[in-house]
Amino acid sequence: MTARDTILNAVLAACPAGDARAVADAAAALLDDPDSSRPPLAAPGLPEAFTLKATALGASVERVANMASVPEAVERYLERHGLAGLSVQPAPALTALDWTGIATHDHIAADEPAALGLALYGIAESGSLVVHSGPDAPILLSFLPLHHIVVLRESTLLPWLEDYAARLEAASVPRNAILITGPSGTTDIEGSYVRGAHGPGFLHIIITGTDDIPE
Amino acid sequence: MNVALPPFKERARAALADRTLKLAIDRTTGTAEAKRAAAVAAFPEFDAARARGRAIKDHVIANLGHYLEMFERNATASGAHVHWAVDDAEARAIVTRLCLDAKAKVVTRSKSMLGEEIGLPHALADAGIERVETDLAEHIIQLAGETPSHIIWPAMHRTREQVAELFNASHQPPPEADDPATMVQSARRVLREKFLGADVGISGANFLVADTGATCTVTNEGNAELTTTPPRVHIVTAGIEKIVPSTAHAMALLRILVRSATGGELTQYTTFHCGPKRPGDADGPEEMHIVLVDNGRTKMLAGEFREMLRCIRCGACMNHCVVYRQIGGHAYGGTYPGPMGSVLTPVLDGLAAARDLPNACTMNGRCAEVCPVGIPIPTLLRAWRRRSWRERLEPGALRAGIGLWAQVAYRPALYRLASRIGVRALRAFGRDGWIGSLPLAGGWTAYRDLPRPSGRTFMEQYRDQQKGRK
Repeated sequence: MTARDTILNAVLAACPAGDARAVADAAAALLDDPDSSRPPLAAPGLPEAFTLKATALGASVERVANMASVPEAVERYLERHGLAGLSVQPAPALTALDWTGIATHDHIAADEPAALGLALYGIAESGSLVVHSGPDAPILLSFLPLHHIVVLRESTLLPWLEDYAARLEAASVPRNAILITGPSGTTDIEGSYVRGAHGPGFLHIIITGTDDIPE
Repeated sequence: MNVALPPFKERARAALADRTLKLAIDRTTGTAEAKRAAAVAAFPEFDAARARGRAIKDHVIANLGHYLEMFERNATASGAHVHWAVDDAEARAIVTRLCLDAKAKVVTRSKSMLGEEIGLPHALADAGIERVETDLAEHIIQLAGETPSHIIWPAMHRTREQVAELFNASHQPPPEADDPATMVQSARRVLREKFLGADVGISGANFLVADTGATCTVTNEGNAELTTTPPRVHIVTAGIEKIVPSTAHAMALLRILVRSATGGELTQYTTFHCGPKRPGDADGPEEMHIVLVDNGRTKMLAGEFREMLRCIRCGACMNHCVVYRQIGGHAYGGTYPGPMGSVLTPVLDGLAAARDLPNACTMNGRCAEVCPVGIPIPTLLRAWRRRSWRERLEPGALRAGIGLWAQVAYRPALYRLASRIGVRALRAFGRDGWIGSLPLAGGWTAYRDLPRPSGRTFMEQYRDQQKGRK
């Protein structure tokens, strides 16, 4: 008998299989009335709630009018931190912007000083950014740089974790789906919090306003 | 995995005598307790969230066969290879073979207690494969040649000064100062090279999502993604109880897991890994393997320890345990320390070897109070004590002593007489209202004083009081 059969037989002997339809209904019922067991949003508006959470975690947040304002905001950030050069995620929404004046590149070095990425969603409940892997979305772009700058379109803000879960399962699930909640950190030495453990030590979020339509 | 350790009592005695250890434990558990309390206070719906989490886990456990098959089907459809291991030896063999098949010279590992449970570190060393622990705490204990002393903070038994000694001896160049921030930067530099040069990355899983076939890891450092993305092969080892029906169910559990573990709301990185690199993907592993491990879990499912399968490994029980906070994790001797470990270690290592652990508990119930999925840990520990008595595992002197006490306790008149003599005799040892030493009870009085008794038993005083009322 294979290990698989041994394990499944033991599981089914202890807990006999139920009707698949009934199990699915029971699983769905476990998610009823989500409001009763999740925390309230930090503010009534999604961008405000998101910003409160993200900044409490050590991220910096700024809001700009539209996508076209992003390069200018990025340039200010780079200047403020004395950074030259920027790795830009090869997403059309970012590469299509006018990067005159900033030395951009599309590869990610092991010790990349700064990289710019595009979030698929933001989650207001927790101040989380969502990134998915894909042809124009390398995962290492979110982990190798010291300064991680992320563009979040206000129109993609979702209130709760469950709202994102519903979108993830409705589409085809990517290889990696990542919720980024603040800059990398650790409390492994005496419980004291240190930023920039392995991932970015700085997370800067640029929320673009809704007047970036038409696209 | 407790090979040739001294008995529990000796380990506990050594730990109690170690002042530095106590300092290290207090620094981390104190912070953890305060942060969890703040997180719970800021979340009025926490109790409802706990009830939901518990219901989700119970539902999965009751339908585990259904969900395991669903997970296997969906993980396979995503391109991952699913393997099954009945015990730790099988799991080690599968992972080692996968590494050798991949011709791996260097393997990076993202912290996984299941990996410790199945003895993966030794197995990789025996196979001649360089293992690089990437979680900061695991890096520290790898340098020290130790095992984790806590499931969330594996290196919490080490003070910053001790960590500085380890880093100075092994980091090139050594860190410039011994404050945590400088030492973290040093580890970041040293490990960064290893991440990008590894052949295989091994992670655990906090959840296995049945309806997508994804595995979920949570970390604060970002080491899991750096472990699983660059190498050609990603291997996941996970216990079969880690299943959740869907991503939304995982979200409900994440809310209580992270608050209970570190007092955060979510970890910095919550990542769902679903199969290998897709055609056209910018990065990711060519192969993904998932090893589903039983190792005693189906035995728990069939018996009185089923509720322990709800455990989501948050570590709150140990942070709030008066015993853990005195002796630390290593004294327990198993992979999992503290209250949850005292339930699990007898399953993994056998009750005969781990009999002392269910007894090293004051039954104060703090663990059950803070458990995010409502596991009645004291009840489960009592179940082990009963089984130990039934199986006659206690030493003869202890059994004889308890037998003698029972003979007296069965006879109320005799019991009252003995109490009257005892309580009067005890007064003779009192000094200034306290008893500081007592013949045959040095194990007790060495660490605490007893208040000098009033000289009369409860029953005597009660009788007088009843008389007075008439």
